[in-house]
Order: sequence, then structure tokens, then C-alpha cells
Amino acid sequence: MHATEFKRRAFLAGFSAISATALLTACGGPAATGTPADGGTPVDGGNITFLIQGYDTGWVSSKTSISSYEGNLWGQLTDKLVYVDANGALSPWVAESWEELNGAKDFVIHLKDGVTFSDGTPLDAAAVVANLQAWAKGDPERGISKVGLFPASNYVGAEAADAKTVKVSFSSPALGFIATLAYHGCILLSPETLALPAEAQADLSQEIGSGPFVLKSWKQGDSYVLAKRPDYNWGPAALGHTGPARLDTITYKVIKDTSVRTSTVASGQADVAFNVEPQEIEALKAAGFTVGTPKYLGFVDGFQVNTQAFPTNDVSVRQAIQHGIDREEIRSTVYTPDWDAATTFIQGNVPEAGDYSSSFAFDPDKAGKLLDDAGWKTGSDGYRTKDGKTLEFPLTPNPYVPSTKAEDELIAQQLKRIGIKVTLKVVDVAGYAAIQASRPPLFQTSRSFVDVGTVAGVLTSQNKGEDWFNVGTSDTRLNELSAAVASASDRASREKVTGELQQYVLEQGYFIPLNQLVQRLYLISPKVRDVQYNGLAYANFYTAWIAK
Amino acid sequence: MTNTYGRFALVRTGQAVVVVLLAYILTFLVISVLPGDAITNSLRDPQHGLSEADIQRIVAYYGLDQPVLVQLVLSLGRFLTGQLGFSLQSNLPVAQLVGDALPSTLTLAFTAFVIALVFAVAIAYGAHYAPGRWAGVLRSIPSFFLSVPNFVIGLVLIELFAFRLHSFTTTDPNSAAATLFAAITLAIPVSAPLAEVLLASLDHESRQDYAQVARSRGLTEAALFARHLVKPSALPSVAMIALIVGELLGGSVITETIFGRDGIGTVVQKAVTGEDQPVLQAVVAISAVVFVAVNLAADLLTPLLDPRVKINETVDA
Repeated sequence: MHATEFKRRAFLAGFSAISATALLTACGGPAATGTPADGGTPVDGGNITFLIQGYDTGWVSSKTSISSYEGNLWGQLTDKLVYVDANGALSPWVAESWEELNGAKDFVIHLKDGVTFSDGTPLDAAAVVANLQAWAKGDPERGISKVGLFPASNYVGAEAADAKTVKVSFSSPALGFIATLAYHGCILLSPETLALPAEAQADLSQEIGSGPFVLKSWKQGDSYVLAKRPDYNWGPAALGHTGPARLDTITYKVIKDTSVRTSTVASGQADVAFNVEPQEIEALKAAGFTVGTPKYLGFVDGFQVNTQAFPTNDVSVRQAIQHGIDREEIRSTVYTPDWDAATTFIQGNVPEAGDYSSSFAFDPDKAGKLLDDAGWKTGSDGYRTKDGKTLEFPLTPNPYVPSTKAEDELIAQQLKRIGIKVTLKVVDVAGYAAIQASRPPLFQTSRSFVDVGTVAGVLTSQNKGEDWFNVGTSDTRLNELSAAVASASDRASREKVTGELQQYVLEQGYFIPLNQLVQRLYLISPKVRDVQYNGLAYANFYTAWIAK
Repeated sequence: MTNTYGRFALVRTGQAVVVVLLAYILTFLVISVLPGDAITNSLRDPQHGLSEADIQRIVAYYGLDQPVLVQLVLSLGRFLTGQLGFSLQSNLPVAQLVGDALPSTLTLAFTAFVIALVFAVAIAYGAHYAPGRWAGVLRSIPSFFLSVPNFVIGLVLIELFAFRLHSFTTTDPNSAAATLFAAITLAIPVSAPLAEVLLASLDHESRQDYAQVARSRGLTEAALFARHLVKPSALPSVAMIALIVGELLGGSVITETIFGRDGIGTVVQKAVTGEDQPVLQAVVAISAVVFVAVNLAADLLTPLLDPRVKINETVDA
């Protein structure tokens, strides 16, 4: 079964590459005319078809609003309180303004006037309080989970001061709170929708939002037609557009096969395809298509290292891996120049990201010397040993990011050159949870966040943190830095200490970054203009229009 | 005869019910053995950032923290009382998911079956009667059909007819034209064994005495085929129907995926990858019922159709 699947993939890749190229030539499409997007005067009207691989997890918002697939549709149907742009800058949306008081423990949110849900009910302070409650607590009694990244542990509560003002309080500083409001998990839904049991929320037609598009018709697992809301007039100012959306309809159509999705857009039968193969990007761009490779705010693609497991309990081994991986080769082999090199372990568009690339620069000689000095001797088979134990560990690609398999295959070859034996163990999503629970030496992660404070919540065991590196309280320096990030009450001091934290984590080889992560790719027809991306790498079609 | 047949029918029906129940239980156990469950798998996505305790509270709501046997008994109880429950992945009613997907798959399978039948008869007839070299070519077609993977046929047809000749659009997979090409994709591998069996029995029957007698009466080969050979040659193929139904259901996964059709095949595929037990149980139960019913019908019909088939007193399994 696995063998056939593998052959199938290889065949599809080859076939789709050939067919895409052939099609592009056949269509004689628009020759490369620089940047097709963002040109000309926008016109109203028109319909687009958006191809996506599937909508399997359904429409219970807390469960699926962060999904790469469902999240795309949620973004058109709903609004958020705050907008975050591709550079991580926050700006008003449904929240017109906000105040941060009492050392970031209290907040006052002022709402925009006249915002309504698509059923006509007002999006007022009471509705926002209901949403905050749902994000912070969920309702396990109804099978509805909370929103993971919402700062729930110190959340005290929210109240409507008047119809347009919401007061929110926390028991300790919550610098990340406003940023969280821009997170894709925090979508505003009608209080009536939120009160429904999970089985009723699964019915997309009962999901009432306030976004620029409303649901017109849907058939689960097949197609979803959204139509513009004519009275919409409260989009984020940052998008540079007022009034209703320009497009009349967006049809989200499920086509599971990547090569068919790509060829369908390439042949002009649809306008946008989600997630095409990275290897095809260059040819598609050359033929005039736009390929969006937006980056999201969060951690880069890379490994969290277990400092208690063999062989990564040896700091020399961690540092040798850090310097033994040729990230540039990964970028040119597996990806394209659209992928950016990592400069630290957080994505480059996070405002606090620094440049610490020298602490993980590719330097095989240095890596070899680190291992030599630590007593790892190269044996006859090319692998190093110490005290009779071979320097080896397993590596499991991250099934949530399929391209990591090719990455890890390459890493295994690269580390072999410095005498480290890496065995690949490929599992599916279900198996990956078990891998994570077993705490392997290296665990590949992909995690988004909208506020850098999240970093402090996962690196150590403080405040029920995830203790990514399994250091517990043993590393006082890491715990101090982490605590300082978590408890900071102003951004300038937090940025400084976040920088120290990044440098320390990388030098200790606690986190091994690879490249910046692109988890969502958009292939867009040349006639679709002005698609914008937010800081979570979702395409927004509010401003999009079709060139005649 | 009637008494013996009645008992035969009763035992066969009983066996069919047992097979359906076993299929249900076995699927349940296999899914339970797999690591994780539908809820944990989707909530563990690192993008969620949910804590283990948060996840466990939701898992408990769905009863997935109970012992497997308790879950099995509850699930079986619901199934026997006709409740299919809700999908763990999408929270939608299983009956709705399956009900929405079923017509698409039935249309595809039925069209594919008719096309496979036409292909098989044409190949068998051609191979049997074509002269020399052509017969050889036609006789090799079934093995060729079997050896080309389903998805290759599908992709080639899409490339040719959707993207080059514009006979259909991939964004409207339920149109008549798109359904026809999907059905051809599915029919090709299904027609191969059918053609082989048909051809073999045609070769066999045409050498029989009764065929020689008919020829000596001056019947043309075409008339002989139509009047005397079709019926006895088709009998072994009827026995294959059950296998064909299985192949149509199995093959529909790949065909539906490639053509972007939302059918039972894609529902199963999603349910398996997402460990969506309620959906999977429902589809397995329905498939098992269809499969067993077709087999049962074939078993029960054969003794009535073919007088040469005797019912053994000790009914074999």
C-alpha cells in the first residue's frame, strides 16, 4: 500500500509538472508581464472559483478556525476585533481603538459603530463578551474546546460597560491579549451561534458572522458558494478599501488531487488553487500566474530538542547538529527562493525576531571538531561512537507540513557526512501525537502565534508550560529569561529580553531552526488582482477584483 | 427441492447476517487499535496550542476515554437500533454525510458497470471471432487493462478531455460528461477479468457438442453466439458480480479523488485518515450489507437459473 502510494506521488509530481508546462504553452497564456497583481483600477463584480483539497473537520468554529483549509473560508465569512498585517503590525478592525491599563492587566475595547451580523443583529459589546468567553473557556460540557492560544490561564473576565465598550481584565500582565484578538482562532460569531450545541454549529448555514461575504449554498465536502454582503462597510482600514467586497461570489470547490487543482487553474477553468507543489512555482510564475507564499507569525520550521534523551543530552552533539545542517541546500532542493532562510527560531515577520544566524551557520568542520573534542570517534562505517554507543537518533517528519519529509531525508544525508546516523520514521498525523508523547531527541514542530509572549509559555515548565526542551527547572538561565518575557509589562523591555532568550536557546542547541515556514500557498490566475495576506498567511478576498 | 432450497436460503441468509456483524466488529477493533482518535488527532495540531488537559476534556465528552469494549457495545447498540450518530471530524450527522455521497457513487458505479459490461462483451466477442493476429491483440487487452493503474487512466483522460478537448470541466465533476469519463476510468480495470472469464467460457462452450450440432444445422457464428452461446458463457460471469461490486466500491476511492467527486470513496478515505469511527462504521456496515446481499442474491439465484447446479444437503460455508 505504501509502495503504491509512493509511486503514485512520484508519478503525479512528474505528470503534473509535464501537464502544467504543456498547458501553459498550449494556452499561450499571458507572457511574463512583471507583477500581474496590483495594477489597474479595481472594478466591481465577477466571480471566482477557489480550489482546495478538502474540508474534513467541519464547521465547529473553535475546532476549525485555525485550520489551513476551513480557516480560508472563515476568513471571508467573519471579522475579527483587530487586524494583523503580514509584518505583525496590529490595527483596528471591529475594535475601533483600545486602551491597555494597569500594567497590561486591564483593557478597554471601543467598538466600531453600526457593525451587524448577517442576520441583522448588532455586533455590540454583549456579543463581544460572549465571544471572549467562548475563546477563553470553550464549553467542554457541549464538546466545544477553547481557543488554544487565548491567554486563558490569567483571564479573569469581560463585561460590557455600554453597548460599544468592553472591559477585559487579567490577573497578571497580558501583553499578548490585543494581538491574540487578531489571531485566526478569534473569529467573531453571533452569540446565538455560540450558544448552539456542537452538532448544530457543524451546520455551516447556522454559523452567523459579520464578514464581507455570506454563505449562499453549500454541500459538505463538495462546494461552498459565498456571496458578497452589500451592506458591509467595516473592513480593516489597513486593507485600504471601504464598502462591500468587489467580487460578487467566491465558490470554494473541493478537488483533492494537487496535480488536478494546479492544472485546472493553469487551464483557466478556475481562478485560485490552494497548496500547489513548490517545484511547480517557477514554471507557473514564468507563465504569468501569481503564487502567494505568505509567511505566518510563529515559530520557524525546525526541531525542538530533548536535552534529557540520548544523544542530545550532550551539548556538543546539539551544537554539531546545529552547524552540520546545510539549510541553504534544503532551501534550493526542496523549496524555491520564495522560502526565506531563518535568522532565529521565530519567523522573520515577528517584530521581536533578531538575527542570530551565526549561532547555527553551516560549518561542517566546526561540527566535526565539536564532536571530536567531545570524544565521538569515527568508526569504520563512517559513524561516530563513544563508550560503545553509536551517535544515532530517529527523525520523524512533521505530517502537518508534508514537505518536511523531503527535508528530513536531506538532513539525514547531511548529518551522515559528520558521522551522525539518522533513521527516518514516517508516520501520519495520529502517529505523530504518539511520537511527540515519547519525547524523541528531535521533534519537528510548526506552531503559529500572534504575540511573542507565547514563546515563554512553551519553552519551560513554568506556569504549566510545555517544557519543549525537557530542561524542567534545571536550566536557571532559560527559566529566568522565559519568566522575564512572560511577566514583562512593556514591549521595549520585553523585546530586549526576547533577544537574549533567542540567542541563548540557539547557542545551547535547544532549538534547531531550518527555514522560515510557508504553510499556505496560493496559485492565482493573472486576472485576479489585489489579493491580500494577513499575518497568519491567509488570503483575504475583500479587496480582490477581476481584471477584464 | 422446495424444502431443501428453503433451508439452503435460510442458512445462507443467516450467514450473511453474521458476516455483516463481524465486519462491523472487526472494523471497530482495527480502528481502536490505531494510535489516537479523531478528536485528539485534530486538536493536537500544534497550531491549536491546546494543552493536554484541554484536549482530554473534549475527548471525554465524546466518550472516547472509555474502554474499547464499552465503546463497541454502545456503538453496536446504536447501529442495531438504526442510529448512525454524528461524525467525530465534522460533527455532522453520519446519515447526512453518507446520504449526500451515496447518489454520486451509485451513479458512478452503475455507469461504470454498464461500460465494463459493454467493454467485456466487445473484447470477448472480438477476441473469439477475430482472425489470427487481431485475436492475439484483443486477447492481450484484459491484462493490459489490469496492469495500468486506475489513477493513470484518470489523469490521462482528464488531461486529454478536460484540459485539451474541453469535453468537461474539472470544477463540475457531477456533470454527465465528467461522470462518463470517471465511469470509463473505473470501468477499464473492472472489465478486464470479466472479459477474460467471458472469453474463456466462450472458447469452452463453442467446442461443445451442442455448438457443433448447431453449426451443422447451418447456423452462422453470429446467430450461434446470440442464440446458444451467450447464456451458458455468461453464467460464470454472474458468479463474478459480487467481486465486481467490491471492485467498483474499492476503485471509486481513487476515481472520486482524481475527478474531485464527493462520493462514498472520498467519505471513507477521509474517515480512515481522520479515524472518524462513526462514519467508517456506517459505511462499512452499508458496504457489507450491499456486498453480502449481492452475493446472497447470486447464490440464491444460481440454483434456480442453472438446473445443473445441485444444492448439497450439507450446505458448505
